[in-house]
Amino acid sequence: MSTRASALQRRRAHAGRLFVLPNLAALLVFMAFPLGYSLYLSFTRSDLFRPATFVGTANYRHLLDDPLFGIALRNTVVFTLGSVLPTVVISLGIAGLLNRKLKGIAVFRTIIFVPLAVSAVVMAVVWQFVFNTDNGLLNIMLGWVGLGPVPWLVDPHWAMVSLCLVSVWKGVPFATVVLLAAMGGIDENLYEAARIDGAGELRRFFAITLPLIRGALSFVVIISTISAFQAFDQVYVLTGGNGGPESATYVLGIMLFQHAFGFGEFGYACALAWVMFAILLVLTGLQLRRSRQENS
Amino acid sequence: MHESLLDRRTLLRGAGVLGAAALAGCDRDDRALSFFFAANPEEADARRRIIAEFSRRHPDIPVRIVLSGPDPVQQMSTFCAGGKCPDVLMAWELTYPALAERGVLLDLNALARDDPTFTTDLHRDSIAALYDTFTFNGGQYALPEQWSGNFLYYNTALFAAAGVPTPPARWEQPWTFAEFLSAAQALTKRSASGAVSQWGFVDTWVPTYSAGLFATNNGAQWCEPRTNPTHLNLDDDAFLAGVQFYADLAATHHVSPTAIDAQSMSTMDLFAAGKAAMALAGHWRYQSFARAQGLDFDVTTLPLGPHGTQACSNIGTTGLAIAADSSRREQAWEFVKFAAGPVGQALIADSGLFVPVLRSALGSAGFAAAHRRITHLPVLTEGPAHSGYLPVTPAWPKIDALLDRSFGPVLRGKRTAMSLKATLPQAIDRILGAA
Repeated sequence: MSTRASALQRRRAHAGRLFVLPNLAALLVFMAFPLGYSLYLSFTRSDLFRPATFVGTANYRHLLDDPLFGIALRNTVVFTLGSVLPTVVISLGIAGLLNRKLKGIAVFRTIIFVPLAVSAVVMAVVWQFVFNTDNGLLNIMLGWVGLGPVPWLVDPHWAMVSLCLVSVWKGVPFATVVLLAAMGGIDENLYEAARIDGAGELRRFFAITLPLIRGALSFVVIISTISAFQAFDQVYVLTGGNGGPESATYVLGIMLFQHAFGFGEFGYACALAWVMFAILLVLTGLQLRRSRQENS
Repeated sequence: MHESLLDRRTLLRGAGVLGAAALAGCDRDDRALSFFFAANPEEADARRRIIAEFSRRHPDIPVRIVLSGPDPVQQMSTFCAGGKCPDVLMAWELTYPALAERGVLLDLNALARDDPTFTTDLHRDSIAALYDTFTFNGGQYALPEQWSGNFLYYNTALFAAAGVPTPPARWEQPWTFAEFLSAAQALTKRSASGAVSQWGFVDTWVPTYSAGLFATNNGAQWCEPRTNPTHLNLDDDAFLAGVQFYADLAATHHVSPTAIDAQSMSTMDLFAAGKAAMALAGHWRYQSFARAQGLDFDVTTLPLGPHGTQACSNIGTTGLAIAADSSRREQAWEFVKFAAGPVGQALIADSGLFVPVLRSALGSAGFAAAHRRITHLPVLTEGPAHSGYLPVTPAWPKIDALLDRSFGPVLRGKRTAMSLKATLPQAIDRILGAA
């Protein structure tokens, strides 16, 4: 009986492996190979036309000497902070508001998630109109409260603010979905007990909700940071492939694209990609460690 | 079990038949000579006309069009890096050296040597500066096909209404920076609130390059030598004065829209709508302006700066190149010869959609007939011979990005052009040195 059972198990395991094989092959071809190849390219001088020349760590050392890398890194950090912090704060607030049993709340929940369904490029094109200095919706609204027109995408000082605004608008729905789901999992009795003890709404939020959704909050921060750090499409559409005006929105994603597809320096671009990966790995590791420490 | 095997076999056979059909289809398609180009719809029509005439004369060489998307150089690079390089490629004067250096483009000299009659005739009929644009590191990587240098369009009705004298009709009799500025000031109209209702001058080209064009009209040159320079003259006072004059048009004299002003309405639309009196552009805008309702326009030369001796346009030219790994070199050469030679050039001249590059086509009755609505035809026909060059270097994409970053504060009026002298020339020299 046991021999027959183990034979059946083996057959099942074999069939399972066969079923997984196509996906595994796809993973190897489309994920593992490009990753490995890009790591190899990062140690070469390659333009994809001529044979790649092995240059050791020259690309990585060149990155440290490149003044534009410093500018791109600084801009990326500013963009990440300027988009992740407001995203988390706003989505916490919205999730808190939507986590109520009110009439018509489902409609509001649907509306708030609409930006999630819009393509990043389409969204950026629409925002270009919104940011128009003379006729843009944003400046028209500012005009209603007596504020002068802001050169959103044209002035180097305002261009980064504009990018952060779009990023927050795009990031809030996703963060809200995650936080709302986490809030929905909190035992209602805890709120009831706090209410009986006389805790107000704010107190309940900070003393019960926030500590109990820490895991989800950590997840949102990590995902939003990764997304902001890799920003490319919305920057490309809103302020162009050079990260202008001047170098105001020259972020790492734009630098990578420019070197790979504009200058044909694929080895250098791959080195930059791996440096970005390393930075994100360290940041994510630190965040996870902090979360674990807090939980324990 | 047997039935399921049969089903599987049937399925495999079906897949095989479909695959073979697809391969056959590919094969049929692959027999054609592929021709990659970028064009707006009107230009694409003109090219199709040339292809149709070529197909009529060479029925044995089918041509397949590969129309470019918004970034032709990037698309071309992607095709070629992926091993699917089109046989014939459109080449731009500023970006072809990088492709030539990487071995993407074929050196046409060997094919030209085997075709001495055509080559001799072509040289005799060519404008040397345009032909030499595609000479790089001893190779000839494209034959010029059209001239796309810049000049000024002006609204004749607005000039007449403001009583501004008609600007020059020939490059040899230019006007000055001062006369140009005076005209732009007279033609800029403001409402009672101070808002501009009509601009004296708009730039429809790339601001960085336009600034350089004013610099070359101020007696400076981008570089010396033209090909593979090791230094750009951005430390030349005459060059920087030309850049400053251009920047001041918007930032100081307010006769030209700033980047903010041009956000609501493109500079091309401003001129087409009669809201700008002069527009800097190349011939590629001609059809758009010709179709604009109620717009009476003519063309004129760039103004000459105080240090300049000869008014000039720029050598904007596109050519036709052959992919180095093309398996249809001979057919591709026949096509390039046809389009860049006298027959294709005559068709281009008659279409009025491009400015041809051969003297015979430039002076043809067909080209004049296609431009009846303008009286200053010599601005176009003599333009190619009165064109200053831009640097021919594979490092241009990097320099372009650097210029874009550095010129920004100057064009916004936040810094003077002279301040560029401090760091920009050295930064460019480093890029050129590394190249």
